[in-house]
Amino acid sequence: MDFDTAVKLNIYETIARTTQAPTSADVAKALFTSPEEVEAAFKQLHQKRLLVPEPGNSSRIRMAPPFSGAPTPFRVKVQDKSYYANCVWDALGIAAALHADAIIEASDGQSGEPMLLEVHNGQPVPQACVIHFAVPAVQWWDDILYT
Amino acid sequence: MLLFRSEETLTQWCEARGLPKRPVLTLTQLWYLAVTWYANRLTVESRRPTPDEMGEIFARIGLEGPFWDPKADQWHSAT
Repeated sequence: MDFDTAVKLNIYETIARTTQAPTSADVAKALFTSPEEVEAAFKQLHQKRLLVPEPGNSSRIRMAPPFSGAPTPFRVKVQDKSYYANCVWDALGIAAALHADAIIEASDGQSGEPMLLEVHNGQPVPQACVIHFAVPAVQWWDDILYT
Repeated sequence: MLLFRSEETLTQWCEARGLPKRPVLTLTQLWYLAVTWYANRLTVESRRPTPDEMGEIFARIGLEGPFWDPKADQWHSAT
């Protein structure tokens, strides 16, 4: 396994276990290396669109899709843990990545009215809703925090 | 992308911002994308689909045309 992959796995395993994104120092300690080496791997993973470092702070992770490193309007409850997702796609993605049932706390994009989505036995529980894509696929990573 | 309770609240959102209404997905379609993108994300071999693979994935659930083309030219200069 190459170093970037080891970093990627450590990030995702840490988030899955703790619900929190590790810092470069946390990953470095786990992999017996330096934070600088880990931050270089963060850059490589960003180029592969598997990671978004925190803007202005390369030691922290803003997004490790489907997980968010910061609180968002999409909270995903899996068993006794709560994760934050980057968007509704990623909220479902957390259930898919963890292969688990999930309750997703979200809200209507216009009214802000709370909405609950549920994944049960590997399927979303049917619910009246629509998901709107405002940005075409070719532009998704031009500003992924907005997308 | 954003979640809406109904087409009605989506229309209100677009009108309030002067933005065009663009493609809308069902929960079932989005679940398919979530599983395809993320089901193996915690494994060694996980990676993001390539642009060609993305086009094939979208087509499988009926998402076709320039909006869903990760290599489309026409959107580079669009707002």
